[in-house]
Amino acid sequence: MSLSLLEVRNLRTYLQSGGREVRAVDDVSFSIPKGDTFCLVGESGSGKSVSALSVIRLLPQGVASHPTGEILFNGQDLLKLDDPGIRAVRGSQIAMIFQEPMTSLNPVLTIGEQITEALQIHHPNMSDEEAQERTMLALEQVQIPQASGRFRDYPHQLSGGQRQRVMIAMALACEPQLLIADEPTTALDVTVQAEILRLMRKLQDDTGMSMLFITHDFGVVAQMAQWVGVMQQGKLVEVGPSSAVLHNPQHAYTKQLLAALPENLAKPVHLQTLRQLEQETESKPLLQIRDLKVWFPIKKGVFRHTVDYVRAVDDVSLDVPQGQIVALVGESGCGKTTLGRAVLQLEPPTSGSIQIDGQELIGLSARELRPLRRKMQIAFQDPQSSLNPRLLVETTLTEPMKVHGIGANHEERIELASVLLESVQLNRDFLWRYPHEFSGGQRQRIGLARALALNPEFIVCDEITSALDVSVQAEILQLLLNIRQQRNLTLLFITHNIGVVEYLSDQTVVMYQGKIVERGKTAQVCGQPQHPYTQKLLSAVPRLVV
Amino acid sequence: MTNGVNRESFAARIWRKTLDGVGVKVGFAWIGLLVFAAVFSPFLANSMPLLMSKDGVISAPVLKYLSVEDVWVLANFFLVLIVYRLRIAVGKRVLLFLLGSVLIAVLANLFIKPPALVIYDDFRTAAYTEVDWRIMPPIPYAPTDYLRDMVSKGLEAPFATQGHTHLMGTEENGADVLSRMLHACRIALSIGLIASGIALFIGVIVGGLMGYFSGIVDMLGMRLVEIFEDIPTLFLLLTFVAFFGRSLYMMMVIIGVTGWSGYARFVRTEFLKLRKQDYVQAAVASGLPLTSILFRHMLPNGVAPLLVSVSFGIAGAILAEATLSFLGLGVVDAPSWGAMLDQAVKSSSFNWWMAVFPGGAIFMTVFAYNLIGEAFRDAIDPKLSGKGEGV
Repeated sequence: MSLSLLEVRNLRTYLQSGGREVRAVDDVSFSIPKGDTFCLVGESGSGKSVSALSVIRLLPQGVASHPTGEILFNGQDLLKLDDPGIRAVRGSQIAMIFQEPMTSLNPVLTIGEQITEALQIHHPNMSDEEAQERTMLALEQVQIPQASGRFRDYPHQLSGGQRQRVMIAMALACEPQLLIADEPTTALDVTVQAEILRLMRKLQDDTGMSMLFITHDFGVVAQMAQWVGVMQQGKLVEVGPSSAVLHNPQHAYTKQLLAALPENLAKPVHLQTLRQLEQETESKPLLQIRDLKVWFPIKKGVFRHTVDYVRAVDDVSLDVPQGQIVALVGESGCGKTTLGRAVLQLEPPTSGSIQIDGQELIGLSARELRPLRRKMQIAFQDPQSSLNPRLLVETTLTEPMKVHGIGANHEERIELASVLLESVQLNRDFLWRYPHEFSGGQRQRIGLARALALNPEFIVCDEITSALDVSVQAEILQLLLNIRQQRNLTLLFITHNIGVVEYLSDQTVVMYQGKIVERGKTAQVCGQPQHPYTQKLLSAVPRLVV
Repeated sequence: MTNGVNRESFAARIWRKTLDGVGVKVGFAWIGLLVFAAVFSPFLANSMPLLMSKDGVISAPVLKYLSVEDVWVLANFFLVLIVYRLRIAVGKRVLLFLLGSVLIAVLANLFIKPPALVIYDDFRTAAYTEVDWRIMPPIPYAPTDYLRDMVSKGLEAPFATQGHTHLMGTEENGADVLSRMLHACRIALSIGLIASGIALFIGVIVGGLMGYFSGIVDMLGMRLVEIFEDIPTLFLLLTFVAFFGRSLYMMMVIIGVTGWSGYARFVRTEFLKLRKQDYVQAAVASGLPLTSILFRHMLPNGVAPLLVSVSFGIAGAILAEATLSFLGLGVVDAPSWGAMLDQAVKSSSFNWWMAVFPGGAIFMTVFAYNLIGEAFRDAIDPKLSGKGEGV
């Protein structure tokens, strides 16, 4: 491949961490032809980001070392360049955009200033007028509406998607030959992601630059890449043209990753028969929500009077039938999490009615609510914050049992808790450990066990798999289906991942700006969406069906 | 399963990371030395023999002259050691210690009646010197033993006179400086701990209520905090000393009552943050009682940054007492480092030993607490985990 823009040969990156040496990148070789996109895919900790940071030499110098390897950029070895040399390459020839659009822009400078500065650093002779003109062009290029008016905006005045556009504009202002994009759309909603990906492809066509694109999402890979490299524990296990790798994977790990995608997971057979049964006999609703409003007041002025409300949940009515999984789908800020918390009375509703098993929840005091709390539980998204770091798993599981009088004495409760752990496929000895000793997937299992501790009829699952790697997500989803089968649970499954919805749920409810815009059987909603928003949402989902 | 995880508890991990550094070990060693001196000062520096045999009768004059306070401090020290060994919950341990401490105080006041008047010169008469054998303390001078029977009076530099050695010299009344230094440890330590304890107690309760309930409680609480932040502690202390006379306990209370606002702010911020944490929400969703949510699920997770500021607060309280004693408004009869510095200044000639030793002790103590505080802060900061050296 003589036309390669970037050629990485036998790259090793070792990181020093607390006296240990971590082989973050271990003998990785790949090349990116001019004008092509190379995607590095892998789960968290596989070394894909470190590989990219090694290319642009952004790793801290005392920590990272490269025992072997060459990074040839236009035939020049970047690893051998001194600091001024690499600075000349960075930004002007190789640019980078990051995952988090919130923190990668400087909040105290206007977006115009930031782009202009980047331009003038690499082109010292450029006049202020010319730099501003080029900045404006760059902003127009990334399709920011009314670019001339936004020049003096601060980052907080832009939405997440617009910030990522500004980041791209800043990266592309100097017309680099290579753009490194480290999970640029992971923090964005799926419809925004689709727009950004479309924009990046268009810019690539216009400028002829190459891209090193890092992602964990195979759907994105399928849309973006000409070449794919799959990383596992610092090693590049499979590399090749994207169609070959995605549709005819050779390495066992690649096959395993592709099979773990929710759209490719095999549904348990007994579940399908169960669903057919349910379709014939409509079960009665366990949870009934009527005209629920959760409004947050916006207070202003000296006397903090309420000027307006944020209508997080606005006039929502919803039935969750006994024994079914209802998926609540929507983008960030649509009110789906607030709705889930309002059902459990963790967020006080403004008005409306919530009935579980025919019992009204709204208006009850904390004391009256306590016996009803047994019936409904919640599992959370973030494995880091969902468990109290100071308590043993045993305490976390047995304390609610004690309060609700489950189990006659402490020994019996411990026995119940061990059974619970086994039911979420964990070792019963894990009772005597602290949360920090577990991986993210294990913590989510413990979080599920805590939700099950009171033997509830109804559980709200708030994005429980979205912080997990795809293979761990697959395990948790299968576990969830097993448990609901055994215990005849009713679930309200809040998620933004359409693949998960299709795999898991019986019914789907789509929320948009605090209101429910569409509901129905999952196959129906996902197959023939009626509402324009649902259609937009579904078409934006990057899919990879093997 | 879990790769590279350690099995130690959260508290043990923080403790290990805190101790990971040379400076902090020096700090703890210094504080340990002070504690030792404060507890055993009657046995380390005293004019009377520890143990003696006269005409075949063995007696321990030191024990006879132990004051109620000496006994209480000693007994508390051993109580802490015993309670620490017990394998029960932290809350129960604290409760057990407090009960034991009060019990000891009552018993000591009832049963211990040391002689009201102590004439130290007597211990250098035949009744105590012409014995079969006797064991004297390492420093054979009591802090208020002005050596009136000795030939030389007043200021003496270290090792100035033959016959009786004063490792750190003597002060203007003729008392041994080292002995006074050792006995002053008790004031230095207790004012720091008790004043900060009072401040912590008020701060946690007010801050916790503000943080958990927010709204109107928060608004009123913050105004209260702002009012207390405006009180100048030193001038308040001066005023109280002027009106009500000198008392160590009054000083502790005033430093404590005016010093809680910072802790309250800390706890409030932590609780505001913790209230939104998923595990607290899960506790609410499980219908746990409010006391469990506040004290089991929230306080232990919010207390670590507080302890950092407590270690700085202790240093501040020690300085406040030293300042007050230096101004001549401290405790009269008991020796104190600040008062010794005051003596050094008021003397007509410059006596370096009167300034260097107490000044150095104050510096070292404040420095030690600051080192501990800083090491602790680094240990609980997850962003610093695994990076660089400890303090």
